Amino acid sequence: MSFADNVLAGLALVANLESILALAVGICVGVVAGAIPGLSATMAVALTLPFTFALAPLTGILLLLGVYKGGIFGGSIPAILIKTPGTPASSATILDGAPMAAQGKAGKALGMALYASCTADLISNLSLILFAGWLASFALNFGPPEFFTLMVFSLTIIAGVSGESLMKGVLAAILGLFLATIGLDLVYGTDRFVLGEPNLMGGLNFIAVLIGLFAIPEILTMIFLPREAGGQKRELGGNWVTFAEYKSCFRTIVRGSFIGVLLGSIPGIGAAPAAFLSYSEARRNSPNKENFGKGEMEGVAASEAGNNGVAGATLIPLLALGIPGDVITAIIIGAFMIHGLQPGPMMFVSNVDLIYGLLIGLVMSSVILLGVGSVAIRAFRFVADIPRGVLFPGVLILCVYGGYAVNNSVFDVGVMFAMGWVGFMMLRFGIPAAPFLIAFILGPLLENNFRQAMLMSDGSPGILFRGPITWFFWALTLITITTVIRSGLKARAARRKLHGSDFANHRRGTP
Amino acid sequence: MVGVFLLLVGIPYGITSPSNVSRVVLSPVFWPSILAGLMVLIGLGLIASSVALKPAPPPEAAPIPAERGSWARLAAMAVLMVLYLFAIPRIGMVWASIPAFIAVGLLVRTQHRVISVVAAICVPLVLYAFFVHVAGVSIPQGHYVRLP
Repeated sequence: MSFADNVLAGLALVANLESILALAVGICVGVVAGAIPGLSATMAVALTLPFTFALAPLTGILLLLGVYKGGIFGGSIPAILIKTPGTPASSATILDGAPMAAQGKAGKALGMALYASCTADLISNLSLILFAGWLASFALNFGPPEFFTLMVFSLTIIAGVSGESLMKGVLAAILGLFLATIGLDLVYGTDRFVLGEPNLMGGLNFIAVLIGLFAIPEILTMIFLPREAGGQKRELGGNWVTFAEYKSCFRTIVRGSFIGVLLGSIPGIGAAPAAFLSYSEARRNSPNKENFGKGEMEGVAASEAGNNGVAGATLIPLLALGIPGDVITAIIIGAFMIHGLQPGPMMFVSNVDLIYGLLIGLVMSSVILLGVGSVAIRAFRFVADIPRGVLFPGVLILCVYGGYAVNNSVFDVGVMFAMGWVGFMMLRFGIPAAPFLIAFILGPLLENNFRQAMLMSDGSPGILFRGPITWFFWALTLITITTVIRSGLKARAARRKLHGSDFANHRRGTP
Repeated sequence: MVGVFLLLVGIPYGITSPSNVSRVVLSPVFWPSILAGLMVLIGLGLIASSVALKPAPPPEAAPIPAERGSWARLAAMAVLMVLYLFAIPRIGMVWASIPAFIAVGLLVRTQHRVISVVAAICVPLVLYAFFVHVAGVSIPQGHYVRLP
């Protein structure tokens, strides 16, 4: 069968009301679930799985994919409105989305998040169709040393999100890496900082740390200084994204989408690192780099493009090789198996119409997401209008329910509260929270891949330079570090010059 | 100081390392030790840079100044968090959340007290209904009043 025959066969399967309805319902469920902190896209996909048993294979899988895509976008809504990411993937959206909301531009931030999400989703889906085979073979070349070098490069993102002091950013990152070591050791299975507490054996719950670090300090700041910190409620703002603004961010969105596609095609990385890497690259290349972290629309576009770019690409290893790229695709692979399908190269031979039906359904999902997302933004605008005396206690209660729901654990609620105080102290001492979180996410991947590489080479560090992929990432890391040091020295020299002129003015008695 | 504490106390006493570790890089203490060492170095770097150059802090990085009662309210919030955590398994998440909601509303000096009390009752109940009946999460019910 030719490509056109395959597309037509797929279209015949997917062009019916049942499939389109499944996608739309899935996206609605996903957006709502993603918008509730603690109820991640993963949980929503898992909860939807039993509903697919009675559906036709394609309809059921489209329902799950709709939930997945809706969930990734939905996470950006609370990230922007209440500085609490609905999903880990939307952590990077906080960096510029929340400051934009504080400036009364929540409408613009949400609009840009939606347009960037839909564009990236479309690019990701088209990439899935065009590059599935090629990218899957590239991803197969990644072993622990390649993963380790990729993680080292990803950690250079910290330079971009450290704010005024790189040293404080690095310190926050080391604290995050340190916190990620809590739990059972990967190689020997011995305790690390468990202190006899069984709840710590699996490490600190990521969602609890995330909510604690970003949402609780906001509440504590409001309690510390009720009038100063947020006397007026946050308005959604009447301004929506104009075509000119979308056009100005288009390059960033496309770049972020391809970063998402590349990282999404590698099993085990996930959407959060892609969002941070996309954000960092956008900042590096933007003429407004000083405004990043203070409410730059391009930052929101980059983060959302990065995390949504992953959504379609995670299906590349799933469909082409039968390897789940993350937890969600692991659940989706279960849905395939329930219906008697085995994803992998053989599926392209035996069920090619289903594969193409799925791919066409995914492209359709980008358009449905645009419609559902626009409605969702208008519905969630009420969140922006709630008075602070109701909003902040409400956020606390939502955090407690969300923090508990991840593992059904009151201990996680305690971790969330403790991290809230850590986040508040970091805020007081001017230590940025974003590097802490990035390091906490990447920490286990970094250490585990390093130790697996060392196990493979019997302790020889030469394995970390074993091939072109590792060399490529080492070179990128070196270039980034050099650039950071150079720009740091330039900034320092400029500051000294400024101090010098201030001092001279002071001596002359002029302001 | 945290780094030094970890190197001297935290890592030796907090991490169990087997005696048959063949390579130092594979030891469970290797990675935390590297991080603690880096923490010490960065700490020294921060001290050195603050001694060498004392720039005026930029306005956005300056800590929020406290007002009268700020620290007392924070202390009250810390106590509230401990009590809330303690109450969840005993009286249930819904019944613990209602007074916690009202207390936080008072701490942020809400001017909408009636709305705050109504929301304090409705929000935990709606969240309970959603998490239990839609998401299938088992929310703690406590020992006294159980919800359907």
